[in-house]
Amino acid sequence: MAWDFGISKEAEAYRQKVGDFLDKELTEEIARENWEDLGLDVAGRAFAKKLFEAGLMGWSWPVEYGGKGLPPIYDFILIDELGKRWGAHVPNDVAYTMVGHTILRRGSAEMKNEYIPKIIRGEIEFGLGYTEPEAGSDLANMKMTAVEDGDYYVINGQKTFNTESHYAEYHWLAAKTDNSVVPYKGISLFIVDQRSSGITIRPMTTMSGERTNEVFYDEVKVPKNRLVGEKNKGFYYMMEALGSERNYVLVPSRYLPYLNMIVDYAKNTTFNGVPLSENPLVRDKIAQIAVEIDMSTLLADHARWMEWNHLPMTCEPEITKVFVSEMEQRMVDSAMQILDQFCQLKEGSKWAPLNGRIEWEFLHSFMTTIGAGTSEVGRTVIAQRGLGLPRG
Amino acid sequence: MDFTYTEEQKMIKEAARGFLEKACPNVEWYLDMDQDEKGFTPELWKGMAELGWMGIMIPEEYGGIGGSFLDLVVLLEEMGYAAVPGPFFSTVVLGGLTVLEAGSDAQKDDLLPKIAEGKCLLTLALTEPGTTCYNPFFIETTAKVDGDNYIINGVKLFVPDANVSDVIITAARTSGVAGDEDGITLFLVDSKTPGVKTTLLKTTAGDKLCEVVFDGVTVAKDEILGSLNGTGAVIARVLQYAAVGKCAEMLGGSQKVMEITVAYAKERVQFGKPIGVYQAVQHHCANQKIAIEGSIYITYKAAWLLSTGLPAIRIVASAKVWVGEAYKKVAAIGHQIFGGTGYIVEHPMPIYSRRAKAAEYAFGNANYHRQLIASELGL
Repeated sequence: MAWDFGISKEAEAYRQKVGDFLDKELTEEIARENWEDLGLDVAGRAFAKKLFEAGLMGWSWPVEYGGKGLPPIYDFILIDELGKRWGAHVPNDVAYTMVGHTILRRGSAEMKNEYIPKIIRGEIEFGLGYTEPEAGSDLANMKMTAVEDGDYYVINGQKTFNTESHYAEYHWLAAKTDNSVVPYKGISLFIVDQRSSGITIRPMTTMSGERTNEVFYDEVKVPKNRLVGEKNKGFYYMMEALGSERNYVLVPSRYLPYLNMIVDYAKNTTFNGVPLSENPLVRDKIAQIAVEIDMSTLLADHARWMEWNHLPMTCEPEITKVFVSEMEQRMVDSAMQILDQFCQLKEGSKWAPLNGRIEWEFLHSFMTTIGAGTSEVGRTVIAQRGLGLPRG
Repeated sequence: MDFTYTEEQKMIKEAARGFLEKACPNVEWYLDMDQDEKGFTPELWKGMAELGWMGIMIPEEYGGIGGSFLDLVVLLEEMGYAAVPGPFFSTVVLGGLTVLEAGSDAQKDDLLPKIAEGKCLLTLALTEPGTTCYNPFFIETTAKVDGDNYIINGVKLFVPDANVSDVIITAARTSGVAGDEDGITLFLVDSKTPGVKTTLLKTTAGDKLCEVVFDGVTVAKDEILGSLNGTGAVIARVLQYAAVGKCAEMLGGSQKVMEITVAYAKERVQFGKPIGVYQAVQHHCANQKIAIEGSIYITYKAAWLLSTGLPAIRIVASAKVWVGEAYKKVAAIGHQIFGGTGYIVEHPMPIYSRRAKAAEYAFGNANYHRQLIASELGL
């Protein structure tokens, strides 16, 4: 036990292997599918297959389902290396970094055997079915109902902001199974075939052009063996998974390509014959971006380290979430100030600098402090769980 | 990867916490130390020496404990927590580490055992009136050869604890022009040498920053520390230690501020409830927590890099930027939550917020360190 910020030789070798693979195989098209949440299309699926066949998936997953049984650091390295190259995340992101872990923790043996090997192979993806029109920050206030009827649950209601649903095979669905108790004690989780009859998916388009969805359930019959774990324990399963999910979803390496892009721009752009890289204000702003990426990386590393050492996480992943999401907004604001008027030019426009990436990131960045929990809820969690301040 | 203290470091922390709680008893005592010309008591210094603190990084053959820089950082974190006044930082970090880095065998034999025993106080004189923007190499003080001696002329500012130091390690220009990293030479100057005049500056934090005037000060050639014209690199290295050491102090101070702030938010009742139930207050406290979590890991990462000898320039600068700004923010939030109570001079808050300001500017503020980072990024 001693302060140590290095990684093992074995982990470093894996990082090298992943990096070499991605340098060859990660195309612009695949990267865009990931970072712009466009969906898992033909190219993305082929890429997922290649990743698996190159022996790079599943190192942190149990041996009995096709993994190598190693600690989570290997999966963190995988997503970090993807992030460094605009890759954002593994193609079947929700399955691999969120749903799969809850299935391992809480699913039946049958469920694990059915889904986990396919998740490791990158063959299936899930849409996350949590948010509803009346259940945003107050997630337990969901109205969707699942009522037992013989061998099935019959599900009715509406979900919103279900980003992956239009291409995912399955819906990871939270619904009310008991309305007679306080809300968080009456929620259950289900795995629903996304093509079941009675499901309607309607597109919602975000201001940065990402596709997300409204999903309507009208008398949808779901076999009882698709209930995850115990009935009415769904909200607990969602909450126990949250820390770990934050550790996988917040990937500070994703900002390195932006930093590199802005550094190159400042070196290669002149004003009145002088490179922007010699302008102290430009240098200051870029350096501050670098500092905040350093900080994001350390906060994430620490929370991840807690996870793989099985230390109880109270608010650490929440700190990463709040900091990284706000840092992303500051980063894009600084980058736009450096680009000055040109910052507003969209990809494909005449004179657009940096291929319009910064302009896109500006539009996207409004989501970071809202999605997966607002900064306000985050700070309340940090204050109450991290510092022991009283609940109101 | 590991984010934990060693068992020895935990013991250092615990011992330091216990000793300093007793040694720095109350706010009145701190205010006395602010007014006191020396800024510390002989008992405090003696107690620290008995615990072996001055020798924490000095090798055993010179009477020290032979610990690592990380061990020293752990101790400095506790000193920041206690906001302990006195010349520990200047003697051990600015003085001791410079001698360790650059001293000849004879100089080490002479000075290190005395430092370890607490019998010799040192400091480092860099900044000058011309340094209106921080730059440790902007040195105009001259040292001219005169037979077997050098004659030093110039004015140094913001020299910590020069008023109590036995030896003032003085950077003088022996060739080149102000701003050059080359052409700087360090001299071990006995503070009692004729021509050395020290004046206390009156500062926000009540720390003992001094003006030191060198008026035709004669120093023997043997007193050169390191190589003639070649100590720019030594200064750069020592300032990395100093910046990270200061981060450790700031980290400790900010932890103390958050501790007392959160405790107050839990007990102070307004509108019939402890103010800590209100989200406005909770979010202030959460911001303290976020700022401090980052400070812990960047400080220890920088210290770890320096301890292992890995390239550290970028992360050391990041640490000084982040921790300096974080401490300032944490202190400002503390004041906001304590309200009028924390504005009173007998309250602990001003002790910490005033020190936060001093530390922010010690060894380069955030703007200076961001320029270093920009250069490291190839800009």
